[in-house]
Amino acid sequence: MSRQIQDAYIVAAARTPVGRRNGAFRHVRPDDMLAHALRAVLAKVPGLDPQDIGDVIAGCAMPEAEQGMNVARIGLLLAGLPEGVPGVTINRFCASGLQAVADAAARIRLGEADVMIAAGTESMSAMPQIMGNKVSINPEIFAHAENRSIAFGMGLTAEKVAAQWKVSREEQDAFALESHRRASAAIADGRFAAEIVPYAVRSHVPGEGGVVRIVERLVQHDEGPRADASAESLARLKPVFAARGSVTAGNSSQMSDGAAAVMLMSEAGLKRTGARPIARFVAYSVAGVPPEVMGIGPLEAIPRALARAGIAQAEVDWIELNEAFAAQALAVVRQLGLDPVRVNPQGGAIALGHPLGATGAIRTATLMAAMQRDASLRYGMISMCVGTGMGAAGIFERA
Amino acid sequence: MSGFMIRKVAVLGAGVMGAQIAAHCANADVPVILFDLPAKEGPPDGIVTKSLAALARLDPAPFAAKDRSLHVEAANYGSDLARLGECDLVIEAIAERMDWKLELYAKVAPHLKPGAVFASNTSGLSINALAAGMPAERRPGFCGIHFFNPPRYMPLVELIPAADTASAVLDGLEAWLTTRVGKNIIRARDTPSFVANRVGVFSILAVLHHTARLGLAFDEVDLLTGPRIGRPKSATFRTADVVGLDTVAHVIDTMQATLADDPWSRHFRTPDWLRALIDRGALGQKAGAGIYRKDGKRILVLDLHRQDYVDSGGEVFPDVADILDLRDPGEKFAELAAHPHPQAQFLWSVFRDVFHYCAVHLGDIADNARDIDLAMRWGFGWTTGPFETWQAAGWRDIARLIQEDIEHGRAMARVPLPAWVSELDGVHAPSGSWSAAEGMLKPRAALPVYRRQLYPDRVLGEAPADRGETLWENGGVRLWRRPDQDAGIGLLSITSKMHTIGDDVMDGMLEAIARAEVDLDGLVIWHEPPFAVGANLQQVVQACHAHQFDLLERMVARFQHTAMTIRHAQIPIVAAVQGMALGGGCEFLMHAAHRVLALESYIGLVEAGVGLIPAGGGSKEFALQAHAMAQRAAGGDVFPWIQNAFQTVAMATVARSAHEAVQLGFARAGDDIVFNAAELPYVAIRRARALAEAGWHPPLPQRAVKVAGRDGIATCEMLLLNMAEGGLISAHDYRVGRAAATALCGGEVDSGTLVSEQWILDVERAQFVDLLKTQRTQQRIVHMLETGKPLRN
Repeated sequence: MSRQIQDAYIVAAARTPVGRRNGAFRHVRPDDMLAHALRAVLAKVPGLDPQDIGDVIAGCAMPEAEQGMNVARIGLLLAGLPEGVPGVTINRFCASGLQAVADAAARIRLGEADVMIAAGTESMSAMPQIMGNKVSINPEIFAHAENRSIAFGMGLTAEKVAAQWKVSREEQDAFALESHRRASAAIADGRFAAEIVPYAVRSHVPGEGGVVRIVERLVQHDEGPRADASAESLARLKPVFAARGSVTAGNSSQMSDGAAAVMLMSEAGLKRTGARPIARFVAYSVAGVPPEVMGIGPLEAIPRALARAGIAQAEVDWIELNEAFAAQALAVVRQLGLDPVRVNPQGGAIALGHPLGATGAIRTATLMAAMQRDASLRYGMISMCVGTGMGAAGIFERA
Repeated sequence: MSGFMIRKVAVLGAGVMGAQIAAHCANADVPVILFDLPAKEGPPDGIVTKSLAALARLDPAPFAAKDRSLHVEAANYGSDLARLGECDLVIEAIAERMDWKLELYAKVAPHLKPGAVFASNTSGLSINALAAGMPAERRPGFCGIHFFNPPRYMPLVELIPAADTASAVLDGLEAWLTTRVGKNIIRARDTPSFVANRVGVFSILAVLHHTARLGLAFDEVDLLTGPRIGRPKSATFRTADVVGLDTVAHVIDTMQATLADDPWSRHFRTPDWLRALIDRGALGQKAGAGIYRKDGKRILVLDLHRQDYVDSGGEVFPDVADILDLRDPGEKFAELAAHPHPQAQFLWSVFRDVFHYCAVHLGDIADNARDIDLAMRWGFGWTTGPFETWQAAGWRDIARLIQEDIEHGRAMARVPLPAWVSELDGVHAPSGSWSAAEGMLKPRAALPVYRRQLYPDRVLGEAPADRGETLWENGGVRLWRRPDQDAGIGLLSITSKMHTIGDDVMDGMLEAIARAEVDLDGLVIWHEPPFAVGANLQQVVQACHAHQFDLLERMVARFQHTAMTIRHAQIPIVAAVQGMALGGGCEFLMHAAHRVLALESYIGLVEAGVGLIPAGGGSKEFALQAHAMAQRAAGGDVFPWIQNAFQTVAMATVARSAHEAVQLGFARAGDDIVFNAAELPYVAIRRARALAEAGWHPPLPQRAVKVAGRDGIATCEMLLLNMAEGGLISAHDYRVGRAAATALCGGEVDSGTLVSEQWILDVERAQFVDLLKTQRTQQRIVHMLETGKPLRN
């Protein structure tokens, strides 16, 4: 067991529904989505004096333009938190949201804070290009052969993983189909209801005579899952990243918009507010891997996190393994011998969507909801691969 | 101006023709409302919106640019009939059912704007019978307006007056269709199937008849009836598959129903085998199978004996191929008629029967022989019409052969040739073309709109065009003028084969511009299409093989110098463009003071296809554009503008219309887009004059152009790296792409560096010559010269 001054507990988590890129949240700003998630998580802890929040740490993978200018601070002020509450935006690409949870926990474990909020927000609709508003690559990357893979697109790295770990097109498509099936079933059963706080989207559209018309629409569910996905429709899609490739739009994660917030407390914080802990934050690890096979990041990160936690892999009851691509998720599942039943029981990013820097916080909300619902779950884990070759894994234990 | 004005058009019927006609109106900036029935389910305009969405998938594209589709308004007869009152022209294009059309006319007539023109795009119904369905006071504004499919690309529109149609309406419509919509008009009579379809469908029936009689295979017939005899590549049966076999049968049935007393009427029936195909749903391309079927990469053709599809692979018999290669048409036809091989007999028979048919019907269906010839060129894509083909082969000789065949019962009908055939030496003469109805030669129409066409399509035997007054010429260009148009505006025409740009052309252009600066007020670069297909690669290859890279460097420098001379001449130079303008041709037009573009201009920097980059100033122009655009944006970043240009250049993207050329940056928003290419020199001469009168002067060379530099190159390179790693491009594609990026980004300088225009020219030239030194680029050039196709190496 890792040594620390005190434990950090998750007491609440809430998130927006996840919209498809240019879907329901097309014109919703990422700072507004963050504010929505912050208000939602605060509402779940009525005994808290917001002045006691030590910091708001928000993950964002493209912290620029609409989500630039330290979106964490802007989001918390928009949410109506007191000016005395600080905020910081952090970026570890797809692990940003989980990194925020880990950093918030670390501050508590160090004794620097009793109440922290970790969050994540990302609007991929707001990004004119997937790589951000201004793409600019360092020429040095091309000057040295060993650096070139830094410039690889994520899809290309998935092709490399598929080739090296021998994941076939059929396996990837089957995995994608199962993700949609699980996600659709979970939505139908209402299993996301506890974590999602519906979002009333206000659209400002041209009306009659120069008067702007406001159209309100309540978004309650994740937009990504396709209940009608079929093996045939997935098989028809063409590979996009390589001439003889296997990675398609159908077996890759969806580009999405969404935000989530997670509240963490020390034991002192729990006592002071009367909040009930859902889970204890047990361990976190990050690890680097070759950029050209960034998808296998969890292969390095998961064993390290388990070792830090001092538990065996078999003890983890629920695993949220981000499905950046079916190819890398399958490679990780197989290589580590993860139990497919416990991996993404409610579907993953292929169906639910992947708003980059928000995903880690969003899936924390999913795991917390599962732990609240099902008393038999003891350990849960969240893991993902990270662009330019990293992996991250966090472990939680029911409190 | 005449009082005839069309501010808005309504098209009734959102079928494949109606929707495409509406699309072409939008191409021409004509506001248009497309009507159909209210949808039974969903939004009331659903039928129209679905039909418009389907247009996006059609190839060739009905819209000249994607955003054009926004300019077709959807409407339905249920709720929007009052909007017909906004429209000056209503084109009815619903299904070919007299009862449906009349019912619709009764419904819409009360809503029409007073004085509006109402025209039916029928191909088979009687215009007078349709006119009777209109209230009497509307009949002066009623006529037939028959477009050909696809309407954007087929030049022909037949205008068919009814008995009461006002001549001012016809004249106004003809002028509008000609200039604004860019169509070529034939005035047809109200006879079944009008002119082009009457002859064209008969020609198909003749092919069907003789194919069966001589036992030829379908693919064999297509080899014979395609480009070898001046017809489109899809020839006969492939065209039928594309059109749809059900449509072909419908057209034949219409002729059967409406032309019972035609001497050929017994041939107006759909063959049983064709009916059988239709019955089992093999309707052609749209059904995946018809006369042909695609099986993976194999193309199979129906074999009637085996009642199955077999590998397609017919051949032209060598003797017949030799006959078809004969230059003298008289000799060609004499030998075809005399040769016993079934293929020769087939071709002679088809030509003979079409000639026979046209001669017999000329008096009933057309004003004169020129109209039939031009209708077949414009409506069916024949390079020469039936009468001019006949006349070129020797009018009297062919007439005698036809007469013999009629007498011996070999022709499809026994009706004799009309008497006038033996009284003439041909139907086309300098003074006009034969009108069988009036018994005289008739000149071209004298409507004012035709004064805008300095070089209209001419039939063989017609008076030659006015070549103007030559001021100077060399082996590559001619500098001339048309004093009747404007003695102060010169025309500079490239005269090399395919208008490739070699030493002669560049020397000639520089000399011509120098002379024009002294003697003229403006210059128009114009010649028949293509505008130019690029540099003379033959000269480039020779220099490469001799390792004369210094010479090549000087050649490229001269190319750049020519482009910059066009830009900085003391008189305005206007590029008048039609057809392909690729590579160096594109660079020249980019440097002109102004462009006059035919809608069907296909412009692109395609150097990457031969392993090169634009180095005649083309890359530099995009760098300059990026700089200009960035200056207007906060932050002033040039890269976003370079990124799109990089894709355009690296992918060798060719604009599929003048509108797209503007969007891609080859042309500018203020350039003229001319819908009727025949008006190109007329408009360009006047544009050059206007620029000269407005005090045009050359711009100063740019001294401080912000370029994307090293970071920009690296960011482009990221794209190349990913494509190369994914096996989507070759290592040499990568290299060529990087060279393009280097030129577009102004070389390996720090991002945001200010450089001169000349520096960018130096960078693109250096990159170009470096590529020329590579074996793979040389292989690509040789391959292109030998095969006409790009080599992927």
